[in-house]
Amino acid sequence: MNISIKQLFGRKPKSSSIAKQRLKLVITQDRFDVDDRVMTRLHHELAEVLAKYFEFSANSVKMDLKQEGNSYILVADFPYTKFHDTNMRQ
Amino acid sequence: MGKVIVVTSGKGGVGKTTSTANLGTALALLGKTVAVVDADVGLRNLDIVMGLESRIVYTSMDVIEKQCELSKALVRDRRVDGLMLLAASQKNNKDDIQPEQMKAICDKLRTTHDFVLVDSPAGIERGFSNASAGADEAIVVTTPDVSAIRDADRIIGLLQNARIEPINLVLNRFSPQLVGNGSMMDQADVLDILNIELIGVVPEDSGVITSTNRGIPLVYEDGSPGAQAYMRIARRLTGQRIPIHNFEQKGILNNILNWFTRKR
Ligand SMILES: Nc1ncnc2c1ncn2[C@@H]1O[C@H](COP(=O)(O)OP(=O)(O)OP(=O)(O)O)[C@@H](O)[C@H]1O
Ligand SMILES: [Mg+2]
Repeated sequence: MNISIKQLFGRKPKSSSIAKQRLKLVITQDRFDVDDRVMTRLHHELAEVLAKYFEFSANSVKMDLKQEGNSYILVADFPYTKFHDTNMRQ
Repeated sequence: MGKVIVVTSGKGGVGKTTSTANLGTALALLGKTVAVVDADVGLRNLDIVMGLESRIVYTSMDVIEKQCELSKALVRDRRVDGLMLLAASQKNNKDDIQPEQMKAICDKLRTTHDFVLVDSPAGIERGFSNASAGADEAIVVTTPDVSAIRDADRIIGLLQNARIEPINLVLNRFSPQLVGNGSMMDQADVLDILNIELIGVVPEDSGVITSTNRGIPLVYEDGSPGAQAYMRIARRLTGQRIPIHNFEQKGILNNILNWFTRKR
């Protein structure tokens, strides 16, 4: 056993708490990276469908995934300039 | 109709094969009919861990290539009733098998066995897709360290996408001593991160190593902590409700010792 006075009385956080903290951060990031690819695909597909009904510029579109407790909320902003009348009457 | 359960992990060397061998044997000891399937094509180990390596004649590859019937490729474990092993081919590699072919084998095995346990290779590639192709449920094995847990989270994501559920966690190589002195995460920490159901905690046990040396799964022998842990998990798999064992409860002397030896 090789323990110093400093180790005995120091207030450094335990390595297990550091591990947990680091893991939580990196896993949030990992999960987001995976989601990111799906989000890009969804973005394209949503835009394709919406383009049938609305006119909008592609770069004005914003999509975001927010976590609230155990569930996710998808927020999509598609600022449109006008309806395509023909499609709306069908 | 039996259940097909894939035993997987992401990171290598965390105890998938050990867990498959012991849970398969434990379920058979509880009177269930069990087929354990080695899906680690090219790096097979389940046969040697179970002590059946000298009796392998055919593998899943032979079944797929229609060189032999599935029933003929199964090796019966003579030490307990109702336990069979389907070995993986050692001379092929993971890309030689298609997920649908593995699924077909699992679907056939479930008609004759209560439990089909599939030992998955490490990784998230083809070997994993093959192993999980026919699975209804999953057991994710992890050790309480950062890399194993991170990889377990990745695998859990893939299993969820494949609609495999429930996904149960086995926390392996748990050391009450290291948890006590603050240098290992405890089960609550791990569950907080991974957010799945815990089906059991297996302590670090030197008996695992000696039993592997002998080719006799731990659960056949004494009531070592590891053997007891695997027996409890097997009972939970059969639907029995058994509270999770708390390895951290130790006498006051231990707590005092821990206080003096705690690491930060
Ligand atoms: N609870 C335990 N106590 C002590 N040693 C253990 C325990 N569990 C596993 N081991 C040891 O860890 C090593 C790896 O175990 P095992 O082969 O089961 O892992 P694996 O996940 O199947 O590995 P791979 O990814 O290579 O297939 C073995 O030497 C085994 O004896
Ligand atoms: Mg293995």
